[in-house]
Amino acid sequence: MSMISEFLSYPFIRRALLASVMVGILCPFVGNFVVLRRMSFFADAISHSAFAGIAAGAILGIDLSVSSVVVAILIALLIAFLSEKTSLSHDTVIGVAFSGAIATGMLIIGALKGYRADLFAFLFGDILAITNSDLLLIFVVSILTVAILLIFLKPFLQITFNSDLARVEGINVRFFEYLLFLIIAIVITVSLKIVGIILVTSLLIVPAASAKNLASSMKHLFVLSSLFGVISGITGLALSVYLNTSSGPTIVLVSIGIFFLTMLKRARA
Amino acid sequence: MKALSVENLCVKADNRHLIENITFSVEEGRIAAIIGPNGAGKTTLIKAIIGLIPYQTGSVSLFGHPFRHKNSHTRVGYVPQRLEFDRTFPLTVSELLGFTVPPIYSFPFHGKGKERKYTDRLLETVGALDLRDRNIGSLSGGELQRVMIARAIINEPGILFLDEAASGVDIKGQERFYDLVMRLNKEKGLTVILISHDLNVVYRFADDVLCLNRRLVCTGSPENTLTNEVIKTVYGEMMGAYIHSCNEHD
Repeated sequence: MSMISEFLSYPFIRRALLASVMVGILCPFVGNFVVLRRMSFFADAISHSAFAGIAAGAILGIDLSVSSVVVAILIALLIAFLSEKTSLSHDTVIGVAFSGAIATGMLIIGALKGYRADLFAFLFGDILAITNSDLLLIFVVSILTVAILLIFLKPFLQITFNSDLARVEGINVRFFEYLLFLIIAIVITVSLKIVGIILVTSLLIVPAASAKNLASSMKHLFVLSSLFGVISGITGLALSVYLNTSSGPTIVLVSIGIFFLTMLKRARA
Repeated sequence: MKALSVENLCVKADNRHLIENITFSVEEGRIAAIIGPNGAGKTTLIKAIIGLIPYQTGSVSLFGHPFRHKNSHTRVGYVPQRLEFDRTFPLTVSELLGFTVPPIYSFPFHGKGKERKYTDRLLETVGALDLRDRNIGSLSGGELQRVMIARAIINEPGILFLDEAASGVDIKGQERFYDLVMRLNKEKGLTVILISHDLNVVYRFADDVLCLNRRLVCTGSPENTLTNEVIKTVYGEMMGAYIHSCNEHD
């Protein structure tokens, strides 16, 4: 008990805990759509696009959070536009955008002079370095995202189930597709500081995939995925402090542990 | 009143006509069957009519109004040929129907009870009330098609499009499916446009037949269209009409 209170007496731990709870709810909530629509590669491409945004921000002297979110949104919209307007497959478009963004980011970073610690905070993430303004940003994005997804839950789910049927029923599929891409891009970029560019997609996908292994209804899926997200965040953070390991990878590994347990449970059922 | 009017409809892809100059109309409350060989453009025609693929020339009107108007969508029901969805999608039948429940019955405006009553009544109509809490991926072909019919009629459409909706369903399931379509047509006055390869089904259930082979080859009643001459024209010389005597058209 005294260990927990000592653990919570540090302001950076309290901030990290709050961030992991909020992101633990937010990312799987959005991640359910990513998993159900098989958009994991898209989410990966967006997180790596943020790398180009961070590099651009560093060379132009812009706030890195702002530059990463702007570039991620632009790449998300570009992927949506090219998939819609050309005969290229969605995968091909994503692959081209993905490698283009990485190459641009590497080129810019190569041109930067000196060591930039802030770049590494985005590349590998550091939940213990979360500031109060980061927390506020995550809070605002969480409230807005969850509110939008709940208000438009029916059309989003209809499109996820079958977009042709949704179109026949009068739903503006194009509008909701773009809105979802935009939401995914924003959620990924605000979560970057938790686990970094390389692992951020796992916050969206792994808890949602674990929940899908067990859920028998959409209601279960949303509740379970957020529950797994929060459990992974808190347990991973506590373990990382106790074992003196990096927080981001520990959170992700706990989440993957839950995924394998749910797989076992599903296999037995 | 004409439920559906199609005039000079042309759909092209890669500079090739998929369907060409299709003109026909269907009166309200009728069951019209579209027949033709594979690649004749049957699915293309239905998809063009309901706005899922663009057409280059022509026009489509539903109940006297041009169908390109967005609001018209609420009056259309559609059950596709092969419903493509993730079988592991954790979705129950009642949740699936809940997506499309009209706002007047919908939660949160009128509470879960009213929404449930509405969807239950609908499932009862299609003989699928026992499937309410089942996962959509666990349904058999016939069960899924009954649920999809319930979903298609949830907004009380004036017209229902069935694109080989009973294909892949066993004979008993097909029988039940078409009996249901017939009942909805008679009880609710629903206009039905269906595609079927089964000429016996067409003979038994359709009021009008449209023979398609990229162009409209013929239209008329089943008695006048399902003749050996017409079938040979539409499907080729090797084919002929053989209607089982036990399935007399009444």
